[in-house]
Amino acid sequence: MIMQEMRLLLVDDEEDFRQTIARRLIKRGLLPEEASTGEECLSILEKKPMDVVVLDVKMPGMNGIEVLHHIKTKFPRTEVILLTGHATTQDGVEGIKSGAFDYLSKPIELEHLFRKIKQAHEKVCREEEKIRDAEFREKMEQQMIATERLASLGTLAAGIAHEINNPLAIINESVGWMNLLLKREEAADIPFRCDLKRALDKIEKSIVRARKITHQLLGFVGKDDFALTEVSLAELVDEALLLVSREAMNKEIEIVRDIDASLQTIWSDPYRLRQVLVNILTNAVHATGPEGRVRIIVEDMDQEVLLKVRDTGEGIPKENLDKIFEPFFTTKNPGQGTGLGLYVSRGIIERLGGRIDVKSELGNGTTFCVRLPKKNRTDEVQTQIGRDDLMDKINKYQ
Amino acid sequence: MIKIPIRVLIVDDEKDFVEMLSLRLKEVGEKVTTAYSGKKCLEILEKKDVDVVILDIKMPGMDGIETLREIKKRFPLIEVIMLTGHGTTETAVEGMKLGAFDYLLKPADFKDLMTKLEGARKRKDDQEERIRRAEAKFLMRKSGDI
Repeated sequence: MIMQEMRLLLVDDEEDFRQTIARRLIKRGLLPEEASTGEECLSILEKKPMDVVVLDVKMPGMNGIEVLHHIKTKFPRTEVILLTGHATTQDGVEGIKSGAFDYLSKPIELEHLFRKIKQAHEKVCREEEKIRDAEFREKMEQQMIATERLASLGTLAAGIAHEINNPLAIINESVGWMNLLLKREEAADIPFRCDLKRALDKIEKSIVRARKITHQLLGFVGKDDFALTEVSLAELVDEALLLVSREAMNKEIEIVRDIDASLQTIWSDPYRLRQVLVNILTNAVHATGPEGRVRIIVEDMDQEVLLKVRDTGEGIPKENLDKIFEPFFTTKNPGQGTGLGLYVSRGIIERLGGRIDVKSELGNGTTFCVRLPKKNRTDEVQTQIGRDDLMDKINKYQ
Repeated sequence: MIKIPIRVLIVDDEKDFVEMLSLRLKEVGEKVTTAYSGKKCLEILEKKDVDVVILDIKMPGMDGIETLREIKKRFPLIEVIMLTGHGTTETAVEGMKLGAFDYLLKPADFKDLMTKLEGARKRKDDQEERIRRAEAKFLMRKSGDI
């Protein structure tokens, strides 16, 4: 850290002494603030945190040791250097016991004081770094846990989906066969023929529903399925809009398309990306009331592309915001949504090396932000690198 | 128009599935044979004329891809539609590269299946027709007519 950024406070009731020291410290590149009493020192600290306080012990009113106690309880990150008179070395020792960084006996040698201040400051920086690292590590670990959990959940879900497809296929063929039997002439007069037909229709519809779920789950896990090529995001947006336009028209929703004209093609998987776009746009249209507006914005950033879908719907309540990317979370009625759209979308975007975020405020609509790299390595390499990086970082701070 | 039945061989280790699908296909007029393993499938093809094989990818023992490879080697004209409950379409893509006509994800839509069956049979007919013509030409050239 640069010395000039150090926040330093000199506290001494002897004005001449204090000002002399301050002047000489300024010459060495420090910018000390000054206080003439312990009370003043504490009130300054209330307003502005300090890295280092140089504190005279012998002062009228609140003495240095008392001030030190206050500083250590209220501002534990601030380091204190005590200045004691020759006769009162005992005060200095007591001060160290109460958490002072060090003590100097008056008369002091400025070079000595300067060195001590520097050391105290370094300690503050180290402590801050440690705290930042710990916070970073905790965040990373949480992210890892979440990622791993989702990954294992994905594997499990895909396994189940796969196993369910076989019995589902049997049910499907059985229903089809029963339907054909009911169409035979001999079956024209059997009792409850209509009821049977109706029940079979319900089974068929449910199979379609279940199939949608299993196929969506499996589509997410598909491994080497990603086909990276040059993609025009503008075209892709238009295609996706085409698919949702009818529903938007029925609800009289205005769709605004705001695409950076300078944007060239990006390197990505058009089919997966379209799937994501359709998912997000469909959600936006569903969330938006009649005569609302859905806005799709594509911005050309330096290394990446930022795609935003903003709706004027009622927004997502805070308690749901964390859940919307979880598999099977849906607020739609059964049969209308599988609760997989965003889960699958996130999986796709992450495997394309991008990120998807959501911002929402009740009553103020929702915005989905998708960031995509313009150039994309194959996804296997990408996830591998991401993980190794994470592991590296975590190990480093352990 | 008189419907010419498609000679279908269904190969899947899920017996219930094979049974129901074959009943259904028979009901709409196709000629259906069934097998529960890749090995059995190849035995049947040795003895019986088949237009299209509906082949499950995931089977114990000889799996669908192996079976497909063997079919294409020994009976190149027979068309194969792959059926998969498997999520990764990569196996299906591999199958297509090995010469399968198409693939279907389980549970398959019957209309889809019928369209693909018709398509497969048509491709087989076309190919046979071409071979017949080529052979005819070859014979004619041999006898010095051209």
